[in-house]
Amino acid sequence: MSNVETLELQSAIGFEGKVPNGLRIHPDRMHMIYAIGCNLVIENLQTRKQEFLIGHNNNVSCIAVSKSGRFIASGQVTYMGFKADIIIWDFASRQLYARLVLHKVKVQDLAFSPNDAYLFSLGGQDDGSVVVWNVATKESICGSQAQHKSSGITYCLAASRNNDNLFFTAGNNTLRIWELDLPNRKIRPLDVNLGQTKRIVKTISSSDTEDVFFCGSTTGDILQIGYQGQFKAIGPEKNKFSLGVTALQCLKNGDILAGSGDGKVFLLAPLTFKPKKTAECDAEVTSLALRGDGHMFFVGTAKSQIYKIQLSEWKQELLNTCHNSVINDIAFPFGTSELFATCSFEDIRVWHSASSQELLRIKVPNKTCTSIVFSRDGTSIISGWDDGKIRAFYPESGKLMYVINDAHQRGVTSLAITSDCRRIISGGGEGQVRVWNIRPDSQTLEATMKEHKNAVVQIKINKSDSECLSASLDGTCIIWDLKRFKRSQVLFANTLFQCIAYHPEEFHILTGGSDRKIAYWESYDGAQIRELEASKSGTINGLDIDATGEVESVGFGHGGEVKKVKICPNNRVIVSVGDDGSILRWRLSSA
Amino acid sequence: MPSHNKDESIYNLIPQEKVIPPKPPRYESKFKETAKDELKNVKQDHRTMGYAKEPVPKPTDYLKAHQKEFKLPEPQTTGRINEKIRPPVPDPVKDRPLLGIKTNKNFISQNAVDTIMAVPKKPEKNLVDTRKGDKFPLDPSGLAPVYVKKKNFGSVPTYIIERKEETVRAKAEYEAYMEEYFKKGALRTMTDDERESILQGLKKNWDELHHAFQSLSVVIDTIPKKMRKEKLEQDMKALEKDIDLLQRHQFIYIAD
Repeated sequence: MSNVETLELQSAIGFEGKVPNGLRIHPDRMHMIYAIGCNLVIENLQTRKQEFLIGHNNNVSCIAVSKSGRFIASGQVTYMGFKADIIIWDFASRQLYARLVLHKVKVQDLAFSPNDAYLFSLGGQDDGSVVVWNVATKESICGSQAQHKSSGITYCLAASRNNDNLFFTAGNNTLRIWELDLPNRKIRPLDVNLGQTKRIVKTISSSDTEDVFFCGSTTGDILQIGYQGQFKAIGPEKNKFSLGVTALQCLKNGDILAGSGDGKVFLLAPLTFKPKKTAECDAEVTSLALRGDGHMFFVGTAKSQIYKIQLSEWKQELLNTCHNSVINDIAFPFGTSELFATCSFEDIRVWHSASSQELLRIKVPNKTCTSIVFSRDGTSIISGWDDGKIRAFYPESGKLMYVINDAHQRGVTSLAITSDCRRIISGGGEGQVRVWNIRPDSQTLEATMKEHKNAVVQIKINKSDSECLSASLDGTCIIWDLKRFKRSQVLFANTLFQCIAYHPEEFHILTGGSDRKIAYWESYDGAQIRELEASKSGTINGLDIDATGEVESVGFGHGGEVKKVKICPNNRVIVSVGDDGSILRWRLSSA
Repeated sequence: MPSHNKDESIYNLIPQEKVIPPKPPRYESKFKETAKDELKNVKQDHRTMGYAKEPVPKPTDYLKAHQKEFKLPEPQTTGRINEKIRPPVPDPVKDRPLLGIKTNKNFISQNAVDTIMAVPKKPEKNLVDTRKGDKFPLDPSGLAPVYVKKKNFGSVPTYIIERKEETVRAKAEYEAYMEEYFKKGALRTMTDDERESILQGLKKNWDELHHAFQSLSVVIDTIPKKMRKEKLEQDMKALEKDIDLLQRHQFIYIAD
């Protein structure tokens, strides 16, 4: 594992919708910038070509683009007690320009000064500081506590429209205007006096035309503040935006775009903040990004959708959707790499790999799909759900074909189907492995195999359908004889098995688990042959083996846990899914 | 379970590139060749220039008698005239024309008389402006003074006179109307008797006041006495003024 290659990221399906203002449009009006896991994606709006900025080692938490478009800055989260990096990227070369390390745990927000001279950064709850960075020298100038000890967390930060030395922060009961005193290397705050009004400001946006900035509060109103700290206006008086103002953008003509927590986008009149136009999105609006002067703008929601809205016609178009919660499984149809299916909370989606387009979506409200397989003949999609049912769907219309009720007591956790499509083998949360006989009009239980004491995480069937493997969290893997429905071998290890695979020749079995090791086992007598340390940091969640059985590279991209990996049937691409709902496709270098 | 679902397969989801079928060949009529041949065969040779060498007529086409003579075309029988609407044949008795009518007029003498009595024709008015005697009519040329010779030259056009008269008449009518109108709702003249009676009454009142004034005590010592004297004086003055007004004017108009 010493000299492993780095996998090349080919494309990604996903959008980190929960990042506030996590969707930006570059000033060249051609590129959209957003985060997927720990990568930044620069996507061409016309060709939809993606480029990746890889450098963070954990989820990206904020993005800023400088006014000239030369720099992109991104901040990340990290584990408690560690420092979170800010990375400044050079847009033209798509290269890392500077890595700035000072904040702890999380970078809350970032902003460039109007002439790209400074970068202002705000640390998260556990850091609570504001730092000014010199972009040219890549060094910090000064820092300060973001708020009084008596006030709450500071959530957002914005730079002034024309003064390099001025920026604003706002949060829970705090609203400050900061002035940089460069000769003395100090930033001096001016607390805005809001009188009796007490607000938690979640978003802040400075106007391009006047010396004012706007703050969106969780109460659902907008505050207008002058650069000298004058509290100019608050509104709307009635009909406040429900679930709070979550995103704000000022337009050139003085109008304001606001996104609310209930997923509505408003075009507001100045000063009164009364809505002139309204558009509805599916979930909380987390970012509003103007293209150019705002003739078109993009809306990012917490459910990872991206909408495009034409300002003049107020025409709304859904640009992008993807999973927005943990993806539990991937499946390829037999013999083709062009399609794959993923499953997550509430839905199963079938994707076209080359274009990253969603071809089919099957929704089952409020249930989580834990595992998914295609039947070998391609006539059905079989899925296991956490309500203990196995559901099969027609692959084109997405309609329900049949349901096996109460297949398992504690949810179906794994599924496999024999190559003749006559039997389904399912594993449940309670540790049972069951064999189902599938006929066109009836599905019957053929056998129940009770050996595992904990959830069965993966089941694999051999090529001749004569035996199957099951891996369980109780630290055992069992080889079952599918003729007698009895255990033929058992593998013990001091680990929680997460994944299992047959070697292509089927005389070896590979397992991976929480001990971070890949173990090779003899399938004939269940003896361990060797162990490899596969991961330096965490559990091995996914394991797949290609036809030749030789792998060795590493990829960095997912923010959180990688839930599953699969090598596509023609050995060109690896698809991996993460717990953040992103799907990444990696080019397999050996192919 | 609908039967069409059974045909579903995941592999149908793979987006197929649309194959654009090649265009069918351009339509060609199956009669094209025939038409071409026909045109070629029907085409008469030597239509424009004639034969290079005139072919000799065949011995069977020998020259026959009167062959070269001009022949009138066969008369065309229309046969369309309706027998019913054909005019009747003239009656030999009734419609016999008058015969033997003769005039006594001596045309020779008549012509001579006419010529003698005829007024000579006025010479054409022409303008000759070149040596060669190129002439053109004078009247339309504008060189002869036409408008100056007109009878009404220099006089006010009749329409203006008419218009002026019209305005004068309208004004007079309006004034007459206004006078009438004022007369209707106008002030009433006080009659002589009325005037006289009013005057007498006023004088009588004045006399009474004067008598009272004359009989006032000589010494005016108290305020009431002084007040009474002043009052009388004032009243008398007012009456004198009214009497004077009535006496001074011959006609007095009363606005009702």
